[in-house]
Amino acid sequence: MTYIGKPLKRIEDARLVSGEGTFIDDLSPLPNIHYAAILRSPHAHARIIQIHTEEAEKLSGVIGVVTGKQVAALTRPFPVGVKVPVKYYPIAVEKVRFVGEAVAVVVAKNRYIAEDALSLIKVEYEALTPVVNIEDALSAESSVLHEEVGSNVVNHRIFRYGNIDEAFKNADHVINKKFTFPKVSATPVENYGVIANYTKSEGSYTIWSNFHGPFTLHSVMTAALKVPSNRLRIITPKDIGGSYGIKSGVFPYMVLMGVVSRIVNVPVKWTEDRQEHLMASSSGTDRVTWIEAAVKKDGTILGLKMKYADNVGGYIRAPEPACLYRTHSNSTGAYRIQNVEIEAIAVVTNKSPTGLIRGYGGPQHYFPLERMIQIISNELDLDILEVIKKNLLTKEEFPYQTASGGIYDSGDYHKALNLALESIDYEEFKAKQKEGWKNGKYLGLGFACIVEPSGSNMGYVTLALTPEERAKSLPKSGCSEGATVTIDPQGGITVRISTVPTGQGHETVAAQIVADALGVDPAMIRVVAELDTLTSPWSVASGSYSSRFAPIGSSAVYQAAHKVKRKLLEIAKNHLNTAMDKLVIGDGKVSVKNDPEKSISIKRLVGLAHWNPEGLPNGLEPGIHESAFFTLPAAKSPNELDLVNGSVTYGFVFDAVQVEVDIDTGEVKILNYTTIHDAGSLLNPNIVEGQIMGGLAHGLGAAMYEELAYDERGQFLTGSFMDYLCPTATEIPKVTIKHIETPSPLTPLGAKGLGEGNTMSAPVVIANAVTDALKPFNVSIDQLPLTPDRVWSKIHHQNAVKI
Amino acid sequence: MNGEGAIQLNGKPKTIFTSLLDPEVLKNCIMGCNELNKQEDNVYVADILIGVAAVKGKYDVTIRLSDLQPPNSYKLIVNGEGAPGFVDAEAKIQLIQIDDENTELRYTYEAAVGGKVAAIGQRMLGGVAKLIIKDFFKKIKRELEKVNIAD
Repeated sequence: MTYIGKPLKRIEDARLVSGEGTFIDDLSPLPNIHYAAILRSPHAHARIIQIHTEEAEKLSGVIGVVTGKQVAALTRPFPVGVKVPVKYYPIAVEKVRFVGEAVAVVVAKNRYIAEDALSLIKVEYEALTPVVNIEDALSAESSVLHEEVGSNVVNHRIFRYGNIDEAFKNADHVINKKFTFPKVSATPVENYGVIANYTKSEGSYTIWSNFHGPFTLHSVMTAALKVPSNRLRIITPKDIGGSYGIKSGVFPYMVLMGVVSRIVNVPVKWTEDRQEHLMASSSGTDRVTWIEAAVKKDGTILGLKMKYADNVGGYIRAPEPACLYRTHSNSTGAYRIQNVEIEAIAVVTNKSPTGLIRGYGGPQHYFPLERMIQIISNELDLDILEVIKKNLLTKEEFPYQTASGGIYDSGDYHKALNLALESIDYEEFKAKQKEGWKNGKYLGLGFACIVEPSGSNMGYVTLALTPEERAKSLPKSGCSEGATVTIDPQGGITVRISTVPTGQGHETVAAQIVADALGVDPAMIRVVAELDTLTSPWSVASGSYSSRFAPIGSSAVYQAAHKVKRKLLEIAKNHLNTAMDKLVIGDGKVSVKNDPEKSISIKRLVGLAHWNPEGLPNGLEPGIHESAFFTLPAAKSPNELDLVNGSVTYGFVFDAVQVEVDIDTGEVKILNYTTIHDAGSLLNPNIVEGQIMGGLAHGLGAAMYEELAYDERGQFLTGSFMDYLCPTATEIPKVTIKHIETPSPLTPLGAKGLGEGNTMSAPVVIANAVTDALKPFNVSIDQLPLTPDRVWSKIHHQNAVKI
Repeated sequence: MNGEGAIQLNGKPKTIFTSLLDPEVLKNCIMGCNELNKQEDNVYVADILIGVAAVKGKYDVTIRLSDLQPPNSYKLIVNGEGAPGFVDAEAKIQLIQIDDENTELRYTYEAAVGGKVAAIGQRMLGGVAKLIIKDFFKKIKRELEKVNIAD
């Protein structure tokens, strides 16, 4: 392979750094576009008594004001994958259930007028008691958000695998702990944007948006809009300014603006501002986990019980409660634990609704799991590496089936661990740490082992239903993705992908793959990443999420490119009078393996297919235009025992992090961050580097700085970057990245996803390092982020300062 | 958010008490108050323009007086709503005569804000509240001087 695996420069970057990117806000696809602004609820929980829009409507330049009742009249609530009757519309209808929920939309000839008109709308509210915390929502006494549900628990399932009672009976020790993970966002640079147009004569909606799937949400949107699927055309712009999952949450606004366009009868454009984004776009769930481990004296973990409750905010919306189940198949992480009990609960509270986010479920899951490994080693007075090694899967055990049905395709976890240990001097560090403690210097070393799932199986989401409930509908499985490779009559190669990149460099990697398959220079290839649901080769699983490009999206491109290659060889075979297997493709031509003089240029072959179909071998269609859809049989629907392989490939990350804690200020300084990755065969090491650093920055944010904070009344407190702190370049520590490559046996290129691993590992590895540093104080970190006041309070046994 | 404080004012409790209930005095003393009218006994409605951090805007405010015990104490209940969000506050005011010419005014308050002003301005809120209160009493002091001169 000439290009795959090489650190090619990203073909996207030239346009991005020269101001030639085309983002949603740059688009003006129709004449007479008007601009929308949204009035939002200042209350966390309230009944809407009346909305007075007359004054706003009178303002010159305003062409319409739309409220919830009008939207509800033209739509249905969004469907969601749980059996509770939550009515979620894209705008509040009778009640508001979180601060920032849309209450009215003004459409005007420009955004300035629309914003001014918002202050002329008067809404009468009757405030209701809010529910903010997970544990309050679990109580039957809490004020109910959705009367028709009757409770704030919207999903509740219990899973038992292996023999959990036996494991706990045979244990020398049972250790239980509680952990809390914060609600965080991923703060893409570009916010949401939507341009919507309703065409009355066709009864169709056309919506441009920086939406990146999953395209399962297309069906959620058409259900809400009450139109046949081909009457909702979604078009994505050429460039999307980051998402990390968050932009899948633009879908309610796509529906809202579609309906608003229909009501006011003009195309409508809405661009979200940063305050709106932090307050009311989407985020990860906050989670409380109660975890119990049955262990033997030697550190062997016999069984695990985990009960966790996710807070999905004011409404449960697709794809939630999938955050509870995304890591279900890898719930025992990198360890050999076959007895597991999982109790998964989703609650609604008066916070903003949640959805996809980088790491989806992983950071919440590994925080308690990997904290427990350290706690077990402390309680048993064993070296942590001994506990890890005792339970860590060995390479002979692959493919490894987990208790809950995951099938780890390949790996060599001990090799990764040893590589990390070569990079840090463990014994020397321990001596330095002891010396430091004597002198008031608090150094800590933390470890984390993360199995990183990639390429989601559509079926895992249905774990929210019982096997009996699942049996009533069509099973869901697979991880399909499509791609098209076309060669025009003059030899120009175009690739069309449906993976909707949001900055991950899919165009570059697609070009590398096609270049290798067809033996041409990647610079000659054009990749079209804009998705159009009326013309692109997409399927239900399409889009950018669950690190699915490396295992799935790239494989679809590979498959389509090889279809084209086969066709070219078929044509060449006739002209060179030889068998297919004697032919090689390269340097822009097809030649005979042992007789390179005998060759024909690709341009000539393509010309034949287009200009002279008469000369084609019998049965071959004219033109060169091949689409391929790729899935993997490993992505089966969950069975009646609730066993599921939730992802198709599983990578591995081993982190070792050194910190220093200032006990007077509570400040945590990261001295060194070593991360070892195994993502199978790497497609482009240059892009890999960027993905790992980005994922790490997100994990670092959750570990140290970020939290979408609410007060006890459900008021949102972090509505700007002054209060919602994200790490910037100066906060990023020294990072050493190393790779091992155990190719996936399942994917044609041996690749696995890798952009989410450190988002999952950084929160817990830093918590482990801080706990290790503070050993003399007997402090155990059980809550994030590690803000100085939280760390200081832990050290000095004070409660956190109340706002 | 809550707070308390005290200030020494010139005048007898009775004079001060009357002034504090006078719509004209209130209008002149509340920062950003464009209009203040008596709606009914002990209920006033006002238009107030306030900026907290980057969140500036107009609030429609209702001020209710209760537990009136002239000239010693009363309670002030404030509800404001506007484009930046809402403010609910309750203050207890007590007047204690020090001597013939001086009275001490003691106050405690509790306030809660909601919406954008909470999301963006939370950090600044304590400071802004103190600023508004300080400014109010500075102006009250001046208003009382006028009254005292008239007396």
